[in-house]
Amino acid sequence: MRKHSVKSAAIVGASLLVLAACGSNKTEGGGTTGGSCDTSKGTLTVGVVAPLSGNLSALGVGIKQSAELAVDEANKKCTVPGFKLTVSAQDDEANPAKGAQAATKLSTDPNVVGVVGTLNSSVAQTVQPILRDKKIPQVSPANTNPSLTRGNDFLTAPKRQFDNYFRVCTTDDLQGPYAANYLVEKAGKKKIAIITDGKTYGDGLAAELSKQVAKKGGTIVGTEKVGEKDTDFSGVIAKIKALAPEAVYYGGEYPVAGPLSKQMKDAGLDVPVMGGDGIFDGKYIELGGKEGDLATSVGAPTESLATAKAFVDAYKAKFGKEDYAAYGAFSYDAANAIIGGLAKTVEGGTWDESKRDAMLTNVGAYSGSGATGAVKFDQYGDSTNKVLTVYSVTSGKWKDVQTGEFTG
Amino acid sequence: MSTVDTSSGKRSALAPLGKPFAAAGGVLGIVAALLPWVTFTLNDGNWPDKSTLQFFDAPFLVTGFRWHLLVLGILVLVAAFAPVPSKGRVVRALGWGLTIVSFVNAAYITVKGGGLGAITALDGATAFGGVVGLIAGVLTILAGYGIGIEPVGEWKFKVSTPVAYLVLLVSFGAVLYAVAAMLTTGGVGSANPYAGAIFLSFLGFAGGLLAALSGVGFVRWISVLSEQHRVFSVIVLAACALLLPFTEAGNEYWMTVAANIGIYAATAIGLNIVVGLAGLLDLGYVAFMGIGALVAANFSGAATAYFGFDLPFPVAAVIAAVVAGIFGAIVGSPTLRVRGDYLAIVTLAFGEIFTRSAQNDIGGFTNGSNAIPGIPALSLFGAEFNKSFTIGAVKLPAGVLYYVLIVLLVAATMAVFANLKFSRIGRAWIAIREDEDAARAMGIRTGKMKILAFLIGAMLAGLAGAVFAHKNGTVSYESFKFLESVTLLAAVILGGMGSIPGAVLGAALLFVLPEKLRDFEDYRLMIFGLALILIMRFRPVGLIPDAHRRAEMVERADENADEAHLEAKKA
Amino acid sequence: MSVLLQQLANGVIQGALIALIALGYTMVYGIIQLINFAHGEVFMVASYGGLATFTLLPDDLKKSPAVALPLMFVGGIAVAVLVAVIMERFAYRPLRNAPRLAPLITALGVSVFLQEAVRVFYPNAKSNLPYPKVFPEGNLTIGSVNISWTGILLVVLSVGLAVILQTYINRSRMGRAMRATAQDPDTAKLMGVNPDRVIVLTFIIGAVLAGVAGIMFGGYLNNINIDMGFQNGIFAFTAAVLGGVGSIRGAVIGAFIIGLIKTVAGQYMPGGTQYDYVWIFVVLILVLVFRPQGLFGEPERVRA
Repeated sequence: MRKHSVKSAAIVGASLLVLAACGSNKTEGGGTTGGSCDTSKGTLTVGVVAPLSGNLSALGVGIKQSAELAVDEANKKCTVPGFKLTVSAQDDEANPAKGAQAATKLSTDPNVVGVVGTLNSSVAQTVQPILRDKKIPQVSPANTNPSLTRGNDFLTAPKRQFDNYFRVCTTDDLQGPYAANYLVEKAGKKKIAIITDGKTYGDGLAAELSKQVAKKGGTIVGTEKVGEKDTDFSGVIAKIKALAPEAVYYGGEYPVAGPLSKQMKDAGLDVPVMGGDGIFDGKYIELGGKEGDLATSVGAPTESLATAKAFVDAYKAKFGKEDYAAYGAFSYDAANAIIGGLAKTVEGGTWDESKRDAMLTNVGAYSGSGATGAVKFDQYGDSTNKVLTVYSVTSGKWKDVQTGEFTG
Repeated sequence: MSTVDTSSGKRSALAPLGKPFAAAGGVLGIVAALLPWVTFTLNDGNWPDKSTLQFFDAPFLVTGFRWHLLVLGILVLVAAFAPVPSKGRVVRALGWGLTIVSFVNAAYITVKGGGLGAITALDGATAFGGVVGLIAGVLTILAGYGIGIEPVGEWKFKVSTPVAYLVLLVSFGAVLYAVAAMLTTGGVGSANPYAGAIFLSFLGFAGGLLAALSGVGFVRWISVLSEQHRVFSVIVLAACALLLPFTEAGNEYWMTVAANIGIYAATAIGLNIVVGLAGLLDLGYVAFMGIGALVAANFSGAATAYFGFDLPFPVAAVIAAVVAGIFGAIVGSPTLRVRGDYLAIVTLAFGEIFTRSAQNDIGGFTNGSNAIPGIPALSLFGAEFNKSFTIGAVKLPAGVLYYVLIVLLVAATMAVFANLKFSRIGRAWIAIREDEDAARAMGIRTGKMKILAFLIGAMLAGLAGAVFAHKNGTVSYESFKFLESVTLLAAVILGGMGSIPGAVLGAALLFVLPEKLRDFEDYRLMIFGLALILIMRFRPVGLIPDAHRRAEMVERADENADEAHLEAKKA
Repeated sequence: MSVLLQQLANGVIQGALIALIALGYTMVYGIIQLINFAHGEVFMVASYGGLATFTLLPDDLKKSPAVALPLMFVGGIAVAVLVAVIMERFAYRPLRNAPRLAPLITALGVSVFLQEAVRVFYPNAKSNLPYPKVFPEGNLTIGSVNISWTGILLVVLSVGLAVILQTYINRSRMGRAMRATAQDPDTAKLMGVNPDRVIVLTFIIGAVLAGVAGIMFGGYLNNINIDMGFQNGIFAFTAAVLGGVGSIRGAVIGAFIIGLIKTVAGQYMPGGTQYDYVWIFVVLILVLVFRPQGLFGEPERVRA
């Protein structure tokens, strides 16, 4: 027994020595920053608040890494002369209380110039006031709830809620109605059933859609909810099928929408499924999205946008795979808005607390061409990019069928 | 008890080596503190507390992990040669401290430096600090086994009240210092790239020290003392907690975190009544906190609240507690017929029904997935709780008033818990937990008592929820999911079921650790799951076991250990 | 009417799936009185194991379902059995004489751990993964009711395996040992039964059934995610409790009841599919209150 352990200890020791001899690797990851740029004035931080653990982490990690990409590129291009930029990503666990902690952590750091995030609207609600008190701009890549910028009466009496809050994504009150117009007028589907996942994004989108459908003379034949983690939708489908809809609108994201579409077809309900930008993802088709399914997405089609392609290529080059998920491109644009605003604020000078007001103004006035199209904010902090595109699944791929702006 | 067998086997082989190993371990620990640890400057900047040979030039400026190693090394030497009770335990604990500190630092450097070259020899430079430290740690642990693991020493001597007060005061002061140090190690902002390593290393040091103190019997003595002077201890503890904002940890971030910890700690104490005292497993407990938060939110005057008027916070909080308590009694009512494990599934079902209902805006009370945002911050005498606050010349960070409120809340729930535990009701609960049939035979009305446990536990959770609503400003169903219930349960168990300070400690650890270890966020839940398994395997009584439970769970294990020990001695 | 029939068919298929998982719960509980919360994760892990097996197959084998499908079953079941045995050996066995809450909390820990381990280490498991199309495609259509062939296969497998299991436990020597251990472990030991072996075997049988369920789940629904174990695990445990813990027949019938309640209540009860599983739990609570031992369980014995 003892002999044995001595022997194994000797083996372990020997292998450690071998490892020590060859493991003399000094270069590490992340060493690409800096380069030839002047970074003498120190380091500034772009914060990210997103769910980095738990079951929404795929989306959160996409947001984080895309922001890292933007910061990396800015460092290479010396966008903010004199400073090195870093990303500090904080996990909000998709939980508002944890989001508040993450935001407080960032807001107590004097070097944090702006925050990209959050994913969930409910988390945004706790993060907004904390960052506002410190005058830190927050640019969300994913919050689509209109009330975040324009208050509860966003249609009748819009009022800016937080002067530090911006978003690069579109809001439910544009995307929903635009989809409704397409479904009722272009596709001629008058009887529409709605399924949502009961979350802010899906519910909000579906609510705005149903208003517009009614306005255009269509009818909503039924509304059902599924759990965001469900995998078996046979009960919902049987229920919907009895109502004989001509199309189904799904408010939610692709992990549910793809299987739902497939199971609908299998159950003999072969009508198109339509959704928002949450289902506009290649994985939707992989998971069972069928031919003729529709999705709206913000901006003009990516093939027509050189910046979008550049983003995808750069992302792939940096991280090795295309896992930027649904909000990666938005996050990239959001980070660039903060970096752009910062470059203008600093403009060869230094950074201190007194520049926070100017920073807010400059982020608000930022205008650029990003991975999702033109990036610019209106008086409420919403994106001015109101171009929407309808895509359809055609021979296993998303293909654009209509691009335009929602005009009522 | 196979573990005991192997250790006794090892002991016979190691016994003569105990002291020499301890001496070698102690010396090597000190040497490791003075050796260089890194062969080159890492890309993210110097390893904390310098990493070159300059330590030999300026050994008195030793700080950080080197200082910890130095202290541990000296303590090992002292423990090995001074007459210390249960020497083996102490030495083993210090050995673990040495090992963890060395391992954390060496492993980080290895990973960040890209290979073992970083902590051995490279480009003409040598840095064997990590290796030496690890050897020192392992030697010391073995020395501990060699000396022999005896039962924890018991300090029987009595002290007069003033001395006891002084001892308690000093020890709680030390706890405050340790907590502040733990919170601030590694810095707050995103500035320090090695924050995770510094923190883990500190944790190893503090844990080793604490385990050594507990091995000597000091911790048990203190807990006996504080049990004897309960009122005094609670007051001192509360005062220490209130002093936290004046330490280094008194910044907005830690105040926010500490306030959240306090809210969960208060809830955990409530859960402790249900699980720890009455022995009823509740897997949907966070729902009661959610109910409390929703009630408070709806009476807060927020734009999307159900009621258009706002009630003063104390009134709203009482209503929140009452409503949560009513739900608690309803959920608890199947316990009249349903036993043990079946109850777990009923409570789990209730928790799921709560989140589902809240998500679907049941009755218009929850605002569905949009949550209820914009709940105004509390204010008292014109002082807004979320703004910074000045006393005389000292400017306290924002959120400090919430912290104070929550400390008071936790103190109050602790008082409630303590009084209940030692009352007729508390004894009835414990009796039910131990043996329901026997309890009934003794004339305890078990049904009524079980529902009462649910009711009181839920009320405490509801109260905590009311504070939660105002503290966070948003109430969303997403804050009250199943995993939160599991985390609360884990807090109770980690701290020690039925133990008052245990629940607070458990909650604090489970909420501080993820904050401190944000580097590992992707693995957070996995580590959490693993930790649950390991705690149940190796320390099911928790970190601060309740005296009564200790009697029933540890003594049995100790008896076995004692027997094995005796046998070993005979042989 | 056709809607009701369709929903009943859906309910039966869901019930069949739940039954396969519930059998594992009920057997483990019957023998060591442990709610093995992690059993749902065994089912999930099996599903990923089957998917991994398929991914590792050479391309030409992927195209022939007759080869790929059995291999997936083998792979998935092997992973499930491995996980279950390790779990029993290292997490539960050391706690066999511990207070009752301890193994239950360990089970929660194992459940969280397995779920997270798959999420972190299985490639792309952070979101749903599509399942390969190696199952019989198409539907059996009766009137306006569609039933997929995979669903029918699932029901056949589920009922068939339950019958085999029942026979095994009633007739075989090992089955007798299991029943003996369930009734009184100490006496069983005196009679020459090795309780460790019996318990491991119980876990293995549970894992095999969960493995079959995991593969069939992927085939029937064409997508899997890491949450599937927890959700279906809760249903399965509810089914086991409903039927009377320890009873094979009870677990299967309980599972079908739950599947049917879920689909029918989703169709006809107020709140629809949003509240479908509220009704499951309402039925569960009612059953427990009026018949605490479950529909087919024996009245609870007082245990030491």
